[in-house]
Amino acid sequence: MALGLTGYVVLAIILLTVAAFFMARSRAKSTAGGDIRLLHSLPNYYGYNAAMFAAVPAFGVLMIWLLAQPMIIENSVFKLIPERIVSEGSSRGLVMSDVRRVAEGLDIAVAQGALTDDEADNIRTEFKDVRSILGSVGVALGSNVEPEVLYAAQQYRAKTETGTFWMSVAVVTLAALGAALAIFVTNADFRARNTVERGALALLILAASLAILTTVGIVLSMLFESINFFRLHPWTDFFFGGSWAPNFRGDSDLSILPLLWGTLYISVIALLVAVPIGLFAAIYLSEYAGPKTRSAAKPLLEILAGIPTIVYGLFALLTVGPALVSIFGRGEAGLLGVDWMSGATAVLTAGLVMGIMLIPFVSSLSDDIINAVPQSMRDGSFGLGATHSETIRQVVLPAALPGIVGAVLLAASRAIGETMIVVLGAGAIAKFSLNPLEAMTTITTRIVSQLTGDTDFASPETLVAFALGLTLFVLTLGLNVLALYIVRKYREQYE
Amino acid sequence: MNDMRILERDVDTNTIKIAARGVQVYYGDNHAIKDVDVDIQDKTVTAFIGPSGCGKSTFLRCLNRMNDTIDICRVQGDIHIDGEDIYDKRVDPVQLRAKVGMVFQKPNPFPKSIYDNVAYGPRIHGLAKNKAELDEIVENALRRAAIWNEVKDRLTAPGTGLSGGQQQRLCIARAVATEPEVLLMDEPCSALDPIATAQVEELIDELRQNYSVVIVTHSMQQAARVSQKTAFFHLGNLVEYGETGNIFTNPEDPRTESYITGRIG
Repeated sequence: MALGLTGYVVLAIILLTVAAFFMARSRAKSTAGGDIRLLHSLPNYYGYNAAMFAAVPAFGVLMIWLLAQPMIIENSVFKLIPERIVSEGSSRGLVMSDVRRVAEGLDIAVAQGALTDDEADNIRTEFKDVRSILGSVGVALGSNVEPEVLYAAQQYRAKTETGTFWMSVAVVTLAALGAALAIFVTNADFRARNTVERGALALLILAASLAILTTVGIVLSMLFESINFFRLHPWTDFFFGGSWAPNFRGDSDLSILPLLWGTLYISVIALLVAVPIGLFAAIYLSEYAGPKTRSAAKPLLEILAGIPTIVYGLFALLTVGPALVSIFGRGEAGLLGVDWMSGATAVLTAGLVMGIMLIPFVSSLSDDIINAVPQSMRDGSFGLGATHSETIRQVVLPAALPGIVGAVLLAASRAIGETMIVVLGAGAIAKFSLNPLEAMTTITTRIVSQLTGDTDFASPETLVAFALGLTLFVLTLGLNVLALYIVRKYREQYE
Repeated sequence: MNDMRILERDVDTNTIKIAARGVQVYYGDNHAIKDVDVDIQDKTVTAFIGPSGCGKSTFLRCLNRMNDTIDICRVQGDIHIDGEDIYDKRVDPVQLRAKVGMVFQKPNPFPKSIYDNVAYGPRIHGLAKNKAELDEIVENALRRAAIWNEVKDRLTAPGTGLSGGQQQRLCIARAVATEPEVLLMDEPCSALDPIATAQVEELIDELRQNYSVVIVTHSMQQAARVSQKTAFFHLGNLVEYGETGNIFTNPEDPRTESYITGRIG
């Protein structure tokens, strides 16, 4: 595939960068008269410094330009489209996507030779069937091209072309200037090592702030959509209503409470399974198991953490659910001869399987925490004539308790946010019930069902997903913060 | 070995409490203790001195079978306490450790209240019939460890909140509370300042009234101050063992002399 202009620009920057590296390095050597001991930094640092000056500003400007240019061009092209077409095409967004599509079609037509560059710039719907030309190169359009839309598309192409040209000039000049500046300042006394150090620091800060900014962005987007939801739907119903009955013709009951109940119920069952098993496994592995058993058993246990949750969901639906039905259901044919459970999907099914999923979380965190309890504590207890299990129960576990509570809270926040297991294992009926053998639904499953299929992002039935998601986020964030606070407080005790 | 001595214990202060014969200790392939014979007397403070890594702590930990908790450690030879072989299969190491208390290098109070720290041993061994008795045991232990006056008003406060010297005396009180017959101390003052050290040393001297105390120390002054008998270990061998006064003023072995005068170590 031939490179576009942008591709050549990137290539040019890379070449300039490499050239700057070698030129700065050799200039540094020559200013020192060939004796690198006279240099402030090792020769490579001068090279890195020059490469940094060549590449970083150029790539930065390139990225910003690439992001900003389409927006600016669209705004200016949009003014060319008269109101009449906007009203027929229902919204400016749809018309603009038509414009972009025609512009892309013209590009492809030129690339494939169906049109010359001049023809693409001057073609008129009055004289040629643009739709069929574009159709012949594989760009299918829904309707005949309006003359205004075609004109806008041609303007769009022209402006993009000019924009890209100036961008190339600016970026390559910037790279060359940066390289020249860095090479110019290179001499034996220049502290290249320190500059590179600052560059490395900036890189690390950038990575850290990207992660944080992404989180902020996610929260903000959820927040805005939730605000939209609360404009359309009363918040009292969402937080205090009693039923969940979405209805796509409108007038739905959208209360989080039945979903929250299902979520918490399933999570509690999951924790009842995961905490004892995980904790006991951790105690065995860290206190009793020999190094060989430990090195074999720990990775095996942690494999559980690597199984995709959809597989757990299948396990719930196809193995655990039917097994539970054969115990608690089927009337006389069942194991207990009772008929309490009718379908495989139930709170207990999802809870059990989610508990299995959480075992490695609890065990591996608890294991680390139990290992962090100083050996001197155990020695002190053994020295008083306590047995191993007395020592664990009365000294090790109390010392590790804050950390274990933190581990359990982290597991709880995983349980609350877990999706696939409950989608497959828990069912879809939102209700308040104490019976663990009934199907119930959770916040996450409702988010999935509200957003899958043909959705209209302007109705409260869809937007409620964002409000649900935000509530879930606040819930798990709170649990995580609490857990981290407890774990950190505990760590300070022994360091 | 000499079972008759048990009967004589009360009348003869030179009764041998612990008798070790031909003790060998291996950490994996490392031969840490080489053929050590030693007789430790009752109601006496015995100091183990020697350079780091000479095996004195290892030997100390043999006396209450604390080395059992280390997987790669093997102990050979005979150690008798009151004539009973402590490495006999019939001996429960857990019971043994109740009889042979231990105080460690670093103060290691449990993350519990001061009261619960001291009551820990009596509780697991069922030494008290009721709460009042337990209170009495705790108070007596704290008094014997010379810390009662400092903590009597805050028995419910966490033991980890005390100062280093107080923590170490709390650990001594904790060891004393189980009514041991022998008290092993592994460098009990190495993490303490001089004032706390002086308090603990005074305490050790008082404990001698009731217990046979074995103390490992790096400080030769401390050994001279608190002990009646001193054993010098070097490279896993027991080089010299005798009256503390003799060891420090008139050592027989040239290695002992070199160590106490500071030429090796």
